[in-house]
Amino acid sequence: MILDSNILFQNYFSDNRNYDEVLKSNMTINPNWETLLENINHIGLKELINKQNEVDWLMDENGVTYNVYNDPKGMRRPWNLNVVPFVIHENEWKTIEKGIIQRAELLNLILKDIYGKRDLIKKGVIPHDVVFAHRGFLRQCDQIDYKTSKNLLIYSADLSRGPDGRMWVVNDRTQAPSGMGYALENRYAINRAVPTIFKNIHVQHSSSFFYSFNQMLIDAAHNNKDNPNIVILTPGPLNETYFEHSYLSSFLGYPLVTGNDLVVRNGKVWMKTLKALKQVDVILRRVDDVYMDPLELREDSYLGVAGLLDVVRNQNVTIINPIGSGVLENSGLIPFMNAISRYFLNEDLILPQIASWWCGQEKERQYVLSNLSNFVVKRIDRSNRESLFFCEFLDANQLEKLKREIQSSPYRFVAQEKISFSTAPDFVNGRLEPRKVMCRTFAIARKDTYNVMPGGLVRVAPEREDLHVSNQRGGVSKDFWITTDKSQTSMHQYAWDNTCKISISDINDLPSNTAENLFWSGRYLGRAVVTARFIRMVLNQMSNAQFNVQKVESEKLQYLFQSLTSITYTYPGFVGEDNEEALKNPLKEILSVIIDDKRLGSFAQTLQSFNNSYYSLRNLWSKDMWRVFDGIQKIWSRFIDEKKYAISDLIKLLDRIITRLIAFMGLIEESILVDQGLLLYFIGLQTEQAMMNVAKCRSLLVFNLEDQLQYEILESLLTSHESLTIYRYSYKSYLSLENVLNLILLHKEYPKSLTYQLKRIQKDIDRLPHSKNAAAISECQRLIKEANTKMENLNINSLLELNDDNTLRERLDTELSELGDVLHDMSMAISNTYFNHTYQQTQLVNQNFPL
Amino acid sequence: MIGQTVLDYNIDISPTPTEISEKLDFFGNTVTRFSIQQYHKELKVTTNSKIRRDYSLQPNIYDSIEGKSITLQQALMALKSYEEPILAVRQFALESILIAKITPEIKAYAEVSFKPNRPVFEAAFELMQRIYTDFEFNREFTNVATPIHDVMKEKKGVCQDFAQIAIACVRSAGLPARYVSGYIETLPPPGKVKLVGADASHAWFSVYIPKFGWVDFDPTNNQIPKNQHIVVSWGRDYYDVPPLKGVIYSTGKNKMKVAVDIRPAV
Repeated sequence: MILDSNILFQNYFSDNRNYDEVLKSNMTINPNWETLLENINHIGLKELINKQNEVDWLMDENGVTYNVYNDPKGMRRPWNLNVVPFVIHENEWKTIEKGIIQRAELLNLILKDIYGKRDLIKKGVIPHDVVFAHRGFLRQCDQIDYKTSKNLLIYSADLSRGPDGRMWVVNDRTQAPSGMGYALENRYAINRAVPTIFKNIHVQHSSSFFYSFNQMLIDAAHNNKDNPNIVILTPGPLNETYFEHSYLSSFLGYPLVTGNDLVVRNGKVWMKTLKALKQVDVILRRVDDVYMDPLELREDSYLGVAGLLDVVRNQNVTIINPIGSGVLENSGLIPFMNAISRYFLNEDLILPQIASWWCGQEKERQYVLSNLSNFVVKRIDRSNRESLFFCEFLDANQLEKLKREIQSSPYRFVAQEKISFSTAPDFVNGRLEPRKVMCRTFAIARKDTYNVMPGGLVRVAPEREDLHVSNQRGGVSKDFWITTDKSQTSMHQYAWDNTCKISISDINDLPSNTAENLFWSGRYLGRAVVTARFIRMVLNQMSNAQFNVQKVESEKLQYLFQSLTSITYTYPGFVGEDNEEALKNPLKEILSVIIDDKRLGSFAQTLQSFNNSYYSLRNLWSKDMWRVFDGIQKIWSRFIDEKKYAISDLIKLLDRIITRLIAFMGLIEESILVDQGLLLYFIGLQTEQAMMNVAKCRSLLVFNLEDQLQYEILESLLTSHESLTIYRYSYKSYLSLENVLNLILLHKEYPKSLTYQLKRIQKDIDRLPHSKNAAAISECQRLIKEANTKMENLNINSLLELNDDNTLRERLDTELSELGDVLHDMSMAISNTYFNHTYQQTQLVNQNFPL
Repeated sequence: MIGQTVLDYNIDISPTPTEISEKLDFFGNTVTRFSIQQYHKELKVTTNSKIRRDYSLQPNIYDSIEGKSITLQQALMALKSYEEPILAVRQFALESILIAKITPEIKAYAEVSFKPNRPVFEAAFELMQRIYTDFEFNREFTNVATPIHDVMKEKKGVCQDFAQIAIACVRSAGLPARYVSGYIETLPPPGKVKLVGADASHAWFSVYIPKFGWVDFDPTNNQIPKNQHIVVSWGRDYYDVPPLKGVIYSTGKNKMKVAVDIRPAV
């Protein structure tokens, strides 16, 4: 293959100063990459650009995101996947795999020893301080026994290829390693977007690895193997890898919970569900060690469960990985790993590591201090950038400062040789460029050994010469291929498409936090639709009236403006004494009600609340739902960016958003099962719509208006209710207040009537789990029944009655106001009965210390 | 513990806890944990212990020529050992949660007393005296979360601050030091009757002197603890051994009141 003539490879080799995966040192092509390069060549530059776009689009469409902490623009950042995969041949991989298994086993034995007999220290294999000075050594976890086959159940190693051509271990990840879900999604996306790139290449699948992974979770439930309750504990939607947490939750079919969903009682851990507490057997955690238990570990943590550690001690729950395994993320161990391997296994390390000097030893410290600028210095217990010193780039002052720090607590520092790791081709700006890569690999404990995922997650340095490879800055990833000469069975379908894999057996087991989010999603969605439609109606009336901004032309508009304020509850707005300004320039006020996200009751705020409660449920979403959800976000941000605020622009915005909200409502109903909590969503939605219905009627129909105005207001109401056509069809007559009330309040068959909505709520509430005491009906049931009885007793004639001075319909107002109150109480009752009302967690004695 | 024996002990908690259990922590202290799962406005924890305290049974540093005279330099050499009992005390020479990042100020303050050829005991005794003299006892200035660097700067605090400053100093010299939490008996002014609850929670520090063992010092009262000091627990610093801690779920604020009463057994 002639590469030089290919534009894709232009300058690839001439610029390359490092060891490269493709180009060997004798300037020949690595045969393991040959077929892939041929395929890429065959696809060609133009098509490769298309394919990369398609991959980007897929990632975006599927909502594969990565959040960046402390960066408002970093939320839901799309995950970047480069179209060019990373390749390792099976022959080499077999050795790497052995090396990973060996290292996993060693770390497992170290973990057992550190929190057990501490023979490694007593026999002088590792220095005392490497363990005792490491912040991850949690004395609270000392001498805990575990019933699982291994103490370390998941292990992740970051590998890079060193100058000797072998893969080296760069980092060990042992607390809650991330990346498996991304690896899975990467394969899915490449397979779908660029199937031709696999031509004549056999790539190993990871399906059997995930099968073992699941089996490992089940086996970890030693008390309850037949019907284990396994949960995935996430820090929440703000976490960097929340996408992956929800992805794994759907993929594996286990509920995604936050610390707040769990509680410790009677020596066990329980999940708060709609019905009752349900015992938890296994927690697959994505929360770091010290945040797991605010009682014994970090007091300021809201991510864990108070008292959890004692449940672990009593062997009533399995945490994966066990709390305290962070002590293994310890660069101070590196210099001693080979001795440890000889001690435990009587063999040498298979995978090389970076040469490292622990400064707690005198000779090593002297060596490091006198050659400091040649090293990369790290703290033994920190791998973040702030604790990483690339000494060659430090000036004299900085070096001096670092020296002093090392001297004051030498045992906390390790110096490492600086290594230039290999590069691999990355498709950037229309050509291939060599970029540094790091491979994250995964192993899980199975019986007496470990299973390794074939491949893993490859991350690419964002800049050509960048030394760091990290996701924190939203770097690029690659699909990681282990190629084999044997042909593989066809690609397995991954589970992303089967939306409903959550194995919650019935609604009783629904985590109450999920239930609450569903309920509020329903309420906010209902509110968003009703509000948008009402504002749209008002805007349409304004443009119909050839609205003149200088002067309020008609009484009708003024009337509608004021009802807009009261329905959205954006007082003072058009109501109150100081309303002149607003009435003079109503478009400005309406614009603020639409886009001011700081304003209570604004459309922007409702939409924001909806987004938040919905985003925390994303393990329940289907792909279509993500697409529509994302569509709304995009329309909204484009609108905010364009700053075009003419009436027609606002109407267009609302039109487009309403259509998508309605699409969303339809999708929810077909994507989520009633037992998964759809019921709660329905109750929320109907409750909100009923309350908005009451609010609209109260603000528009109570006052007695002269005929023409009355007619126009009725028409506006029906328009905002999307009921004008139905009205005409049903009554075939001039708009009358009597018929309008009959249709939108009293009609028994019309789904948008209050009567119908309340009946539906009652039916849904009856299906919720209720206490066993059948005699007592719940407060929620009592209240909705009260509302329905009230509805049944309404009489159209008395609703139409005017008070003595003929100004208003007091009876209508009273009835509606009472109904509104009952609905409000009912919503509160649902909240009190079913949702998780943990009080604020505080410390008995305030002692927030960093652990 | 030699010189202090528990003859009788009981704990009374109201409201009655749903669960209660006892275990030893990493440092060998007894920890009682309980959980209350009912609404309550007041939590009351009362412990009664009958203690036989006789400090004269403890090894006395003044009787140990080796312990009394070992210099800092000799002590640091001895501490390089990987044998027990040295191995067990090594962790008390390292940074701990509340005593981390020992500043040059603390190191300089320690170096006034700790010199390579001076006996460790003498240096530690002098450190205790200096803290007693240089620091002002002030309840208003600090709370349990005040960092030692602030205490060092302002030279104000309570017993636990003084103990932690001393520990930081001892560790800056490379020696193991631990935090002792306990109670102290206060004696009424001559001719007055002792008030109930007038005694107090107290804290002091202890230095490990090779060839001898742990020696306690009370910088708040400028003395080596004797029979008025009742030891409850020890750890690397206050964080390891708070008398009471916990998580509560509530909406309002909470206040804590502590009273200690020590009197001769009848």
